[in-house]
Amino acid sequence: MRPRTPSQWVKVLASAGMWIAMAVAVLQASVSASRPWAASACTMAFAVISSAAALISHLGSRHKGGGLSGPGRDDEDGPAGEAPHRWHTLAVVSRLMPASAGRRWLAEAESLLAETTAARRGAAVRSYLLSAPRLAAMMWARQALRRAQPGPRRPG
Amino acid sequence: MALRLTVQVQLVLQALLGDPAREMYGLELSEETGLQPGTAYPILLRLEHEGWVASRWEDIDPRAEKRPARRYYRLTAEGAAAASAALSGARRPKGTALRRLAAEGGTE
Repeated sequence: MRPRTPSQWVKVLASAGMWIAMAVAVLQASVSASRPWAASACTMAFAVISSAAALISHLGSRHKGGGLSGPGRDDEDGPAGEAPHRWHTLAVVSRLMPASAGRRWLAEAESLLAETTAARRGAAVRSYLLSAPRLAAMMWARQALRRAQPGPRRPG
Repeated sequence: MALRLTVQVQLVLQALLGDPAREMYGLELSEETGLQPGTAYPILLRLEHEGWVASRWEDIDPRAEKRPARRYYRLTAEGAAAASAALSGARRPKGTALRRLAAEGGTE
């Protein structure tokens, strides 16, 4: 969607600038042979910053649409309009993880939450959100270790 | 990285060892163990990285089934043997500890 107000333009340009800076930092770090861990560290730092920024921006606004729109097992008595909000929060948090791990985590959360009862869904989402930072740290550490080790790389 | 056999890990392994050939998906495991899905997922991931568990996406048409595909988990042959050995050597969680964990959703 095209930005309409000056503040929307500022947000778009700031976001584009951040991504360009991130790409330059990661490229610079990846060509530096003396610090092979720097690329992972830069990517992780930018992922954390962009996720935090997106989360803060999301908390200040109301979003509609997104996944988890399918009914649960007993969704009739569930709060209306909650599912897209939950999915958006999970999607933002999934960006804390390496891309493939984040996609899998989100897909699995979406799959499980679609089938769980409305009464238990809130607790399930909270548990996913609470475990996400530790999981993200674990996944990044694993990825950094894999990059540091010689030999063929495994996806995910 | 060695696998730490916490009470939550033991619960997941016990559920999977109930029928090692059976595939279980996240919600099923969560209901069987009493753990919250957000707690069970990192455990399953660690078990998968250790080679104890294998997983796959269910092959369905989500529109026809009216639900997203599930991720199924099952113990590998190596995992089943290792899990049995580890559980037999581990300190069994007491009934009260299990009840408290189930009530709290088993947060690690």
